[in-house]
Amino acid sequence: MASSLSPSLPTIFSTLISKPNHRSQSLQLSFFPKKLPSLFMARSADNGTGAAASAVVEEKVEAVNPPPKMEEEKMVEVKDKEESLSSNGVAVENAEVLTFKDPRWVGGTWDLTQFSKGGKTDWDAVIDAEARRRKWLEDNPEASSTVEPVVFDTSIVPWWAWVKRYHLPEAELLNGRAAMIGFFMAYFVDSLTGVGLVDQMGNFFCKILLLISVSGVMLIRKNEDIEKLKKLIEETTFYDKQWQATWQEDYKSDSKN
Amino acid sequence: MAAISSAMAAGQNSDFLGLRLASTSSEARNANRRRLSRQIRASKSSPRLSGRPLRVAVIGGGPAGGAAAETLAKGGVETVLIERKLDNSKPCGGAIPLCMVGEFDLPLDIIDRKVTKMKMISPSNVAVDIGRTLKPHEYIGMVRREVLDAYLRDRAAEAGATVVNGLFLKMDSPPAGSGERYKIYYNEYNSKKSATGEKKEMEVDAVIGADGANSRVAKEIGAGDYEYAIAFQERVKIPEAKMEYYKDRAEMYVGDDVSPDFYGWVFPKCDHVAVGTGTVTHKSDIKRFQAATRLRACDKIAGGKIIRVEAHPIPEHPRPRRVLDRVALVGDAAGYVTKCSGEGIYFAAKSGRMCAEAIVEGSAKGTRMIDEGDLRIYLEKFDKTYWPTYKVLDVLQKVFYRSNSAREAFVEMCADDYVQKMTFDSYLYKRVVPGNPLDDLKLAINTIGSLVRSSALRREMAKITA
Repeated sequence: MASSLSPSLPTIFSTLISKPNHRSQSLQLSFFPKKLPSLFMARSADNGTGAAASAVVEEKVEAVNPPPKMEEEKMVEVKDKEESLSSNGVAVENAEVLTFKDPRWVGGTWDLTQFSKGGKTDWDAVIDAEARRRKWLEDNPEASSTVEPVVFDTSIVPWWAWVKRYHLPEAELLNGRAAMIGFFMAYFVDSLTGVGLVDQMGNFFCKILLLISVSGVMLIRKNEDIEKLKKLIEETTFYDKQWQATWQEDYKSDSKN
Repeated sequence: MAAISSAMAAGQNSDFLGLRLASTSSEARNANRRRLSRQIRASKSSPRLSGRPLRVAVIGGGPAGGAAAETLAKGGVETVLIERKLDNSKPCGGAIPLCMVGEFDLPLDIIDRKVTKMKMISPSNVAVDIGRTLKPHEYIGMVRREVLDAYLRDRAAEAGATVVNGLFLKMDSPPAGSGERYKIYYNEYNSKKSATGEKKEMEVDAVIGADGANSRVAKEIGAGDYEYAIAFQERVKIPEAKMEYYKDRAEMYVGDDVSPDFYGWVFPKCDHVAVGTGTVTHKSDIKRFQAATRLRACDKIAGGKIIRVEAHPIPEHPRPRRVLDRVALVGDAAGYVTKCSGEGIYFAAKSGRMCAEAIVEGSAKGTRMIDEGDLRIYLEKFDKTYWPTYKVLDVLQKVFYRSNSAREAFVEMCADDYVQKMTFDSYLYKRVVPGNPLDDLKLAINTIGSLVRSSALRREMAKITA
């Protein structure tokens, strides 16, 4: 278990890291409508979200229009909506034709008997099939159903199937790298301090070095990882900063006093 | 989830201290301590008000304003509550935790529905019913905002607050620390007279801004902006037979199709359901997300008739400034909405009450003038009490709403009884309960396992496109 866990840790990191770039970009984009609320309103009205925009900037609109007019606007929007629902109903029917179909997908799960190869379940094929299903669903979101619930659970695939598939090739590389770094660290420590390899094992400082190099190898696999880690740390402290702001102000006014 | 929360709870108290103290020299810190304590002393010896009680204007009559006005009035402070629309039904999920019923002594008849089953539905439509661990008397209350707000306002009026149907326009602030009165300007709407309202002004000693996300009070004190999410909601009247399913059930849909950074929901209301979704990053696509939410709930709400469409901004984090001189912000105006779940009613009501308590205390039951130090006490108390909750939910959102694969792992994790128990305990009672360390460890391992599996699948999916 330990061996399966330790190489898997960085994969979480890569999942965690994979999105922030995209997110921060889109965040910047969203600044645009925020700074220009009137523009935002116009834009969303084009999309037909008139009701949304009017409610959002309600206060601003009100300063211009008397309140009763707002009510009228809302009513009109609601009527529009009713129509759109019926058109949406049609859309839903269209979508229903596009449910995921696969002969091996039976009763909301993969029929494992159809995946057997030489008397054993071919887990690789199950993983492939599920990946394809999820990919398909991403492009064609399906209505959830209470009649035919999805019961497939990825945890039925044994852990060694995942490890075998994803981690063995990479583990080779990481082990090699860790061994090289470890050897040179030991060499340098020895040459600088004269403490031999065996003695180093009992030394607290050397144990720390060992820990640093192992975690370093795990976390930083490529050069980009350093940037990603930095961004991740920034992101985790971002919310704290937003909360601290009201207290920071206090210090500023303090230093002036 | 629980593992993270309890693991973090330990770090959080120190974190909170760090919140105020981090990245400043100890010199500044001491100066601040001195200043605060000096101010507190100062207010205790601050001038007695002769012949009149302290007068406080509460702008906004939502849960925050209502709770604040009630506490103020009970504490002997002359209270004026100004609300623009007394029958306003704000677009809002309307879920309140169980502890709010007790703490605010709410009558049971304002709760339309008691939700005991929460369904989480993943991008690949794996559905998990959360709520198996609930005890018979535990539930999430669903209220209509017009009912709850009116109830809290009425109680404030009963306690002695004056409720004014008016629209706050602006205010004149006296020089900071001068102790002079604020002058507020508002339009009073009287049903007998014209609809345009009557211009009025009033002098008050302090102002509580409880006027929501588009707060004018916040603008007046230059409180700065916050990033906000837009929530879009349609109230759908569905056939009786389909309503049966939502009798005690709420649904949460997660997935990139529904919202890239939040969730889509179907919440039961008194005689209809509210179907909605929210987003911060892709506001202009909200219509598409709403369509996707409807599609995901397709069969369950089919044949429904939309009776109302609403949208509202939801703050993502507190404003850079929440207190200035004798003006304080509470509720949505301050930005007290949690990440991840988007919950705000309880925190609004609590912040209103805390702020009012600080004023009552600082003014010695309305007999003395208050100053910024008194209002800072409210800020400090609020941050200290609820910061861990906000932080945990922020971490959860960052980890689990990031991608479809993370969401799959989230739903997988929620199937666990221990997670459900911890989630509901912390939601219903608003306290971070330390869990069983062994269970926490097990949960941590399972969660990592789920995340790894789903991210492995995600990589596999990426290969398919290539």
